Amino acid sequence: MFRPSSIHRGVCRAVIRGLWTNRRTSLHRLLSTYGGVQGGLADADTIFALSSGYGRCGVAVVRVSGPASATALRSMAGHRLPPPRTALLRSITDPLSGEMLDRGLVLWFPAPHSFTGEDSVEFHIHGGPAVITAVLQALGSVPGTRPAEAGEFTRRAFQAGKLDLTEVEGLGDLIHAETEAQRRQALRQMSGELGHIYRDWSHKLKRCLAHIEAFIDFSEDELIEDGVLDQADRSVCDLQSQIEQHLRDERRGERLRSGVHVVIAGATNAGKSSLLNTLCQRPAAIVSPIAGTTRDIVETAVDIGGFPVLLSDTAGLRESADLVEQEGVRRARERVQQADLTLLVVDSTCLPSDVQRAAGFLSEHLRSVSPSQKQPATDMCLLVLNKSDLLPETQRQKLKMELRGVSGLPAVCLLSCQTNEGLKDFLTVLQSSVKTLCGDPLAGAPTLTQARHRAHLQQCVAALSQFQRYRDSDLALAAEGVRLALTSLGRITGRVGAEEILDIIFKDFCIGK
Amino acid sequence: MLTKKLQPVQSFLSLVSRSVGHFPRQHYDVIVVGGGHAGTEAAAAAARLGAETLLITQKIHTIGALSCNPSLGGVGKGHLVREVDALDGLCGRAGDWAGISFSILNRRKGPAVWGPRAQLDRQRYREFMQSELLSTPRLTVMEGSVEELLVTDPNPEQPGQHRVNGICLANSSHPISASSVVLTTGTFLSGSLFIGQTTSPGGRIGDAPSSAGLSHTLRERLGLKVGRLRTGTPPRIVKDSVDLSLATLNPPDSSPTPFSFMNTHTRCRPEEQLPCYLTYTTPGVERVVRESLHLNCHIQQDAKGPRYCPSIESRVLRFPGRRHQVWLEPEGLTSDLLYPQGLSMTMPPDVQLRLIREIPPLHKAEIHMPGYGVQYDFVCPTQLSPSLQVKSTQGLFLAGQINGTTGYEEAAAQGLWAGVNAGRRALSKPPVALSRTESYIGVLIDDLVSRGVTEPYRMFTSRAEFRTSLRPDNADLRLTLKGRFELGCVSSSRHQKAVRVKNSLQDALAALQALSLSTTSWKRKIPDVHVSEANSNMLSGIEMLQYKDVSFQVLASIFPEVLLPFMEFSQRLKIEAVYRPHCESNKREIQRIQEEENMSLPEDIDYLSLPVSLSQEVREVLHRARPSTLGAATRLEGITPAAVVNLFNYVCFAEKRKKTSHGNQRRQKEGREEELCASLPQ
Repeated sequence: MFRPSSIHRGVCRAVIRGLWTNRRTSLHRLLSTYGGVQGGLADADTIFALSSGYGRCGVAVVRVSGPASATALRSMAGHRLPPPRTALLRSITDPLSGEMLDRGLVLWFPAPHSFTGEDSVEFHIHGGPAVITAVLQALGSVPGTRPAEAGEFTRRAFQAGKLDLTEVEGLGDLIHAETEAQRRQALRQMSGELGHIYRDWSHKLKRCLAHIEAFIDFSEDELIEDGVLDQADRSVCDLQSQIEQHLRDERRGERLRSGVHVVIAGATNAGKSSLLNTLCQRPAAIVSPIAGTTRDIVETAVDIGGFPVLLSDTAGLRESADLVEQEGVRRARERVQQADLTLLVVDSTCLPSDVQRAAGFLSEHLRSVSPSQKQPATDMCLLVLNKSDLLPETQRQKLKMELRGVSGLPAVCLLSCQTNEGLKDFLTVLQSSVKTLCGDPLAGAPTLTQARHRAHLQQCVAALSQFQRYRDSDLALAAEGVRLALTSLGRITGRVGAEEILDIIFKDFCIGK
Repeated sequence: MLTKKLQPVQSFLSLVSRSVGHFPRQHYDVIVVGGGHAGTEAAAAAARLGAETLLITQKIHTIGALSCNPSLGGVGKGHLVREVDALDGLCGRAGDWAGISFSILNRRKGPAVWGPRAQLDRQRYREFMQSELLSTPRLTVMEGSVEELLVTDPNPEQPGQHRVNGICLANSSHPISASSVVLTTGTFLSGSLFIGQTTSPGGRIGDAPSSAGLSHTLRERLGLKVGRLRTGTPPRIVKDSVDLSLATLNPPDSSPTPFSFMNTHTRCRPEEQLPCYLTYTTPGVERVVRESLHLNCHIQQDAKGPRYCPSIESRVLRFPGRRHQVWLEPEGLTSDLLYPQGLSMTMPPDVQLRLIREIPPLHKAEIHMPGYGVQYDFVCPTQLSPSLQVKSTQGLFLAGQINGTTGYEEAAAQGLWAGVNAGRRALSKPPVALSRTESYIGVLIDDLVSRGVTEPYRMFTSRAEFRTSLRPDNADLRLTLKGRFELGCVSSSRHQKAVRVKNSLQDALAALQALSLSTTSWKRKIPDVHVSEANSNMLSGIEMLQYKDVSFQVLASIFPEVLLPFMEFSQRLKIEAVYRPHCESNKREIQRIQEEENMSLPEDIDYLSLPVSLSQEVREVLHRARPSTLGAATRLEGITPAAVVNLFNYVCFAEKRKKTSHGNQRRQKEGREEELCASLPQ
């Protein structure tokens, strides 16, 4: 059948490909500045990642792309490559131990006929977290492979000219989503023990580099003694052994809390703790009619529609003279900032009876929850109007009808934790939100983050040994090692610029020429 | 061989007659205002390019004056001198002519951070600069004070777009027109001098500041954002009054290394060199500073001074209770003065004398001329494009301290670059770029125009991301060839020399690579070097040269027939071999940055209304900073990755957009605009 639209698309694609040929490589490189791992590792790396969503599912798809794809497939699923683009059932084994991990379908896509344009492989395996983790770990032990950065498959596809114009335009949104997800994840880690360790290392390394740079740029004319370098020697040695030990002992440090982070927030006595207890079906939090009962975060892991959810109840937001309560409110706001989804609980009896004014009241309320005083994105928030049993029936109907689909407001659910009225509808809305979040493998997939951190830390250690190697023969090359180490660590903790190093130099030394 | 001009320098009389004797032309391609380190390089570079150039300075006999320290080079600064020389600039050769004490700083820290440095004879430096400029073809030197810049009113089509047409001299009714004007006013723009509690207008002691008309044009007519910075200079001390036996002797290198790639030796013979002396401050110095603070205007001002070149006042106030280094440096071969590096001060002259006499070798010292402070205007350099042209004024270029930098070398580097660009503009040649990945000059320019300054900017090696590639030894390979064909500022003789060096190095490295032996054979040939056993493979000559104790000479003695022809490059080959693997691994990152820099953002872009998906914050950042390339945009604070992608899309589609609009000229304007918006990613 003649389909003009497909021809039109074909022409478009050809034009776009021509237009982009010279530019796409540059964008790819440009993006790698932000991508994290890439800047430090070769472009020819083979990457792998779980491509299906996180959470309980029947089948999980693990994708591999890059020159070592064939090696990975051979070493994990039998020596002979399957015919291109044909699904075969194979035993999937660990390349080192030979232990069988799962039986599943494998597919082989030789370049250029694949999503990324590179050699790639897909493993369709059983969806349990244990199997997925085992397969990802096994892939990581194949030489030349590393975990993919978020969105890296798409970028490679882009580089190979496999995306059309609309997809290219979507890339900006993708990057935006990624950075948002990464930001949330980073915030979670940085407020934990692991974040503390990384920041401490980064701080030490910065000082170390500043002292070495000071010795290079100023020592001939200034009173900078060789003792400065001895100090740097010791720091580098210490750091190296600390990071190595951290890499060896994986259980140490913080177990990253997995799952979608859902935070319950709102004014005091709106019924936040009641909602938590209703959702986890047990009295996890103390409930009382006294405003300000919950002061710290109460966390509990629940299963919502088959997806792992970490539910946090927070202190009610109000101005308070009580220091403990103030801290509770601060923590509550911080949690909201780090959350994948916020449930804003409102006492429906406090709503103005006029619906127009009620909408204004709610958006005002939304802004007050966020630490930046900005209304959170509508898909990251649900409005829960609690205590519906206390409203007259007419008011309930009015609210239900008229608050649905008010632009700029997130989804609104009217319920009563007392009578469980409206709970079923709320759970449906909640489930679909959680499902959307879990369908995105970025939301709380701890194995990927951990693997990324490992890769950076390993680079950091390798770079520090460059310092040791050149310490006595060439200080410029030795300093280069510390610079590289700081760059690797900076990919976890944030970039460090030359000005920052100079600031430390001028703070620490009396430079006068 | 030294430079071609070994004959005595022309007398000032002949200089003056050359410029003032016949009436100047009515039009030049390039006018350079100022005869300091930036101005001399700018004028010479523009003339080398082929532009008919006029240099205007207050006094011809102060061209090439060293206003502050009698030295050139150092760590980072020496890198700049080598690069200016590689682009055929003057200061490297001038340093070789005037140097009286040469040393390589950081000799023990690796060749990437070696800092070639020399003490200079002030008289000889001036002589060289003046004779060089006055014998440069197409360059006219004239005494005068620029009263005003001639600028056109803004183009109504492009608001804020002025064009410079020339200059007007004080005491002259004849304007002189030019296609490009380079301003290198140094500390002279609204300059004022401070000693103790007295303040007087001036840019250097004995010299008037630049005219108020010039300041007015920059601020009011062109609306440029101007800031104020301060600097200072120490008193000059009578040599005979100093007891040098109480200071530590610091001898120069026994064999002077020239700055210039064109010179094999310096004018000063090794045994003629003069030493420097090192001494320290005492608690008495701190006491005098504290007691005289109320008499010290300059130190109380809030204009920003350099953190790394502070006056003795700020040093003892910031780091009390410490002793501070003071270097006693010769001012010339026959000069009877010493320059006390580290003792820049602005207190009243009698207190200055009391202060220096607290330092043991200076306890009977006499002051020839007191130290003083200078405050001056600078133009915030973020208002410049990477060619150092003022963004809002076509044809107006700024270089040196007017851009907020400090140091002779930083000024020279900018002067050369502004001269090249001013010349190219006047000769209607397309603009050129110098990346921070290929030179310290590029680092300097990029830092200035994309980040601006908060204190006087000085070069450090730590500012260069690719320090292992940007070495003083390879500045000719990095820049001379490019300088000849892309920039047009390099003479053919220098170019030929660089080509010969490049080919020889390539041949030598190929020969070394071809020398492939097993580990055991190498051990037999060089028994005292510990070749790692683990490496059982074959090792090439390059890999052997990477060992710390293996020099090119050692290899040449084993393979004389292949390697002896390259003996003159032995040091460079050793450095190349050691740094090669590191430079290779830098290459990918360098390429990425260069590609970003190649994607230029149109200067007239209106970020606030650009039909591209950008947040309001990002729009404001871009609107304020107006980055000239996508690379500069990515380095701005507050720019999100998503914004970069969308800008990238915009850059890519801009070309297509232009074509579309040209092709549809007959269409209604509205219709065209609709189409433009439609072709942009929303």
